[in-house]
Amino acid sequence: MPQLDTSTWLVTIIAMILTLFVLIQLKFHKYSYPLSPAPKTFKSTSFPTPWETKWTKIYSPLLLPQQ
Amino acid sequence: MNENLFSSFITPTMMGLPIVILIIMFPTLLFPTPTRLINNRLVSAQQWLAQLILKQMMMMHSPKGRTWALMLISLIMFIGSTNLLGLLPHSFTPTTQLSMNLGMAIPLWAGAVITGFRYKTKASLAHFLPQGTPVPLIPMLVIIETISLFIQPMALAVRLTANITAGHLLMHLIGSAALALISISPTTALITFIILILLTILEFAVALIQAYVFTLLVSLYLHDNT
Repeated sequence: MPQLDTSTWLVTIIAMILTLFVLIQLKFHKYSYPLSPAPKTFKSTSFPTPWETKWTKIYSPLLLPQQ
Repeated sequence: MNENLFSSFITPTMMGLPIVILIIMFPTLLFPTPTRLINNRLVSAQQWLAQLILKQMMMMHSPKGRTWALMLISLIMFIGSTNLLGLLPHSFTPTTQLSMNLGMAIPLWAGAVITGFRYKTKASLAHFLPQGTPVPLIPMLVIIETISLFIQPMALAVRLTANITAGHLLMHLIGSAALALISISPTTALITFIILILLTILEFAVALIQAYVFTLLVSLYLHDNT
């Protein structure tokens, strides 16, 4: 059986190690799977001060103390 | 007849140069490197296939086992593409060589086992004795489990070699039988030809299945040891 002729074993094994551990892995290493782009929802980082959470009458421009 | 039958399994050398090196490296040409954000169809299809295989295979592993993801996906793609290319007429299939399969099986199995011994020594040694064995049977069972552990890489290599070699031999034999029967009795030749077609379909399946089985078993040995 020609598979049992050990004179060629060294060449075959070295070629296989080079291919499997170096060449093929260099190809698959470059595969990237980015997440699909989607808009990010923004949450405001500044919080309204207590007197700004409720609109009160005193803020309407005509009701401010006239200069 | 012996010499002629096995001649396709002789490692190819051309005037003393080992062109087997080029034959083993050829499948890497069929996997182009992705260079763009959106790639062409071939690269996208291969990326999709790789993602499908990765999700299926690495789901059952711990984070430590998942560091082997690149190795396992390279393994299954290499063996699968090499086996499929070997189905072309007059081609040389490197996976029929026992040398190459031993060179793949032994380092991968040894890596998994040594990882297990380094990080989970007690659990790895515990694999040698299944739970609930009666006390008098313990020495014999340890010997049996040790033998079954050490036979794993041999079985991996010989399984792949024998399956692919046997398939190629069968196709060669049935093909030459069909050819010889044409001049004797065309009906029998037709039946033999149909058998050859069915066998070729089987060989396509075997090519892919063997790649899968090899990688799955390595993955299993890894799971036991991480």
